[in-house]
Amino acid sequence: MTYVVTENCIACKYTDCVEVCPVDCFYEGENMLVIHPDECIDCGVCEPECPAEAIRPDTDEAMESWVDFNLKYAELWPVIVTKKDPLPAAADRDGEPGKMADFSSNPGLGG
Amino acid sequence: MPAFYSEEVLDVTHWTDHLFSFRTTRNAGFRFASGQFAMIGLEISGKPLLRAYSMASANWEDQLGFYSIKVPGGPLTSRLQCIRSGDWILVSRKPTGTLLLDHLAPTGTLLLLCTGTGIAPFVSILHDPETYDRFQRVVLVHGCRTVAELAYGKSTVASLRADPIFADLVNRLTYHPTVTREPFRNRGRVTEIAKSGALGPLTPDTVRVMVCGSPEMLRESREMLEARGFTEGSGNGPGTYVIEKAFAEQ
Repeated sequence: MTYVVTENCIACKYTDCVEVCPVDCFYEGENMLVIHPDECIDCGVCEPECPAEAIRPDTDEAMESWVDFNLKYAELWPVIVTKKDPLPAAADRDGEPGKMADFSSNPGLGG
Repeated sequence: MPAFYSEEVLDVTHWTDHLFSFRTTRNAGFRFASGQFAMIGLEISGKPLLRAYSMASANWEDQLGFYSIKVPGGPLTSRLQCIRSGDWILVSRKPTGTLLLDHLAPTGTLLLLCTGTGIAPFVSILHDPETYDRFQRVVLVHGCRTVAELAYGKSTVASLRADPIFADLVNRLTYHPTVTREPFRNRGRVTEIAKSGALGPLTPDTVRVMVCGSPEMLRESREMLEARGFTEGSGNGPGTYVIEKAFAEQ
């Protein structure tokens, strides 16, 4: 089992989750974070920390594709272990539908 | 900087064939909040093998305590159960967790619900004077299958009650051990006891709840609490309950 980051992280990128992860398994893209499913220990501490409620257990419905998505980008992006400011429009865009259209596959800075 | 502290095992207690606790040294740099866990383990063939363990000791003590099951064939616990005083374990430098006093808006009663080794994080909570500052009454409900499995909790509460530091505080602690599979003065599941009202009304108006146990117990507890209007607290804002898995199932 693993937790995964889902669509509502896009364009928000709150990073409260990285502060509490015991195994530092978050990876940073330009406008989204992902979890490495092979590193996640399934402790669940990050889930309630996400202000955008974007983190879900893979046991929820229709999460298979998000597991693949998280794995793919976790292997491409740098690890992030320190909380930083969310993206400028985070509060406005939290909950906006159709964010996938804005997804950037570019890596973030990590750190 | 290495990711782990090496801590020396000071003593090991085997409570049953499948439960044991141990204490280790504590690096002065290792700080944690009551209720948190860390990754701990052993170096196996040159690689760290780690699992999440709650600190079952006060955050002001100069030792660390842990409480574990022994899983036959479990990658870590099958080895960890063989440790003896003088051995060394690894402890990660990053404690974390959800079972924090800061995640709950203080009110009258703090209800600690746990099964099995899920009692571990509550050992540090119960040994924190801050707990008694924030809550008038603390109720610990610990469910196990058999009476023998209650021994660690019973011993922990007995030594807390005997500790002069807590002499004026522990009269506000109610300890309610319960078993499901054999005769005992208290019988039944932790959630059934919480719902029964025997330990007081279960309402977010006057009660805050911390939950740690098996996946099934967590699911039942969450349903029970959400149905009564409890809301989950986190670092983003205090709520009326928090929940965490009892770890180390392997």
